[in-house]
Amino acid sequence: MSGGGGLSYDRYRVNGFDEWLVRIGDPAAPAVLILPPLFEEMNRTRAFLLALMRRLAEAGYSSILPDLPGTGESPRRLEECGWDEWQGAVDAVTEQYRPISAIVLRAGSIFSVALDTASICRVAPVSGASILRDLERSNITGGGSGGYAPSPALAEALGAAEPVPAGRTLRLESDPAEADRHFPGSPIWRRSEPENSSELAGLIALDFVKWHRSAAS
Amino acid sequence: MAAALDDEMEVDATLRAVLVDILGLPQAEVAAFDDETELFGALPEFDSMAVAGLLTELEERLGILIEDHEVGAEMMESYGALLAFARAKALR
Repeated sequence: MSGGGGLSYDRYRVNGFDEWLVRIGDPAAPAVLILPPLFEEMNRTRAFLLALMRRLAEAGYSSILPDLPGTGESPRRLEECGWDEWQGAVDAVTEQYRPISAIVLRAGSIFSVALDTASICRVAPVSGASILRDLERSNITGGGSGGYAPSPALAEALGAAEPVPAGRTLRLESDPAEADRHFPGSPIWRRSEPENSSELAGLIALDFVKWHRSAAS
Repeated sequence: MAAALDDEMEVDATLRAVLVDILGLPQAEVAAFDDETELFGALPEFDSMAVAGLLTELEERLGILIEDHEVGAEMMESYGALLAFARAKALR
């Protein structure tokens, strides 16, 4: 990896459990909170988000990507986790790292982040209901829910959750919904076999850095 | 009737683009699909795990809503069947 500091794993604490997060970039640099998509989309975009974080590090930012309770390397089981715990995780990470900005991908946009609305950048935001529908749809066609079984309480909260307002919204050209910019690229979060896209990671990082610097000046 | 023909072509182009993007198939392979090309269960990439993403992506790009009871192996068994389904939804 070139420039901008290395990758490290760190811990944050929520609800009495130590959860993991990955950090890329100089710890002294201003931090950007990255909130991942949910369920299967989270796995499909892991490499992509790390590519994005490396690009941010090259531009002088550090960024942090938490594993939500019940996902990734979490000691918890997803079935035990409720919405309060997920939102609590986002709050705990924000409290601990004091990010200056956030990039939230897909359903990562439904968390409220204790930051100025203007400093949040949404990438292809989607409602919680839409993600739940994907899970249910995988079930009817015999795919199971991708191994994901959110508790009924979590599912209910997700079903009501809409993307929070943000200062900037980016989408793909194939997505007709409103956005500040539309980028070329394929929706890797829906790819049946996970695929990375360094081009898209580069475009989003560049857009973020330009936008963030112009807002700060 | 030129407008209707254009719309039909547009649905066809959108469906092919979604198959490329979601299943990760080469563009040339998808461009050669005809009505008889078998999809669900025949293409290794087109498995049940891919169905949810594919249908949701089609909904977004075509501005349609696909009901659960409409989803089944038959409407996805061939390119022709899937195209007919998408056209019926998008052009009515």
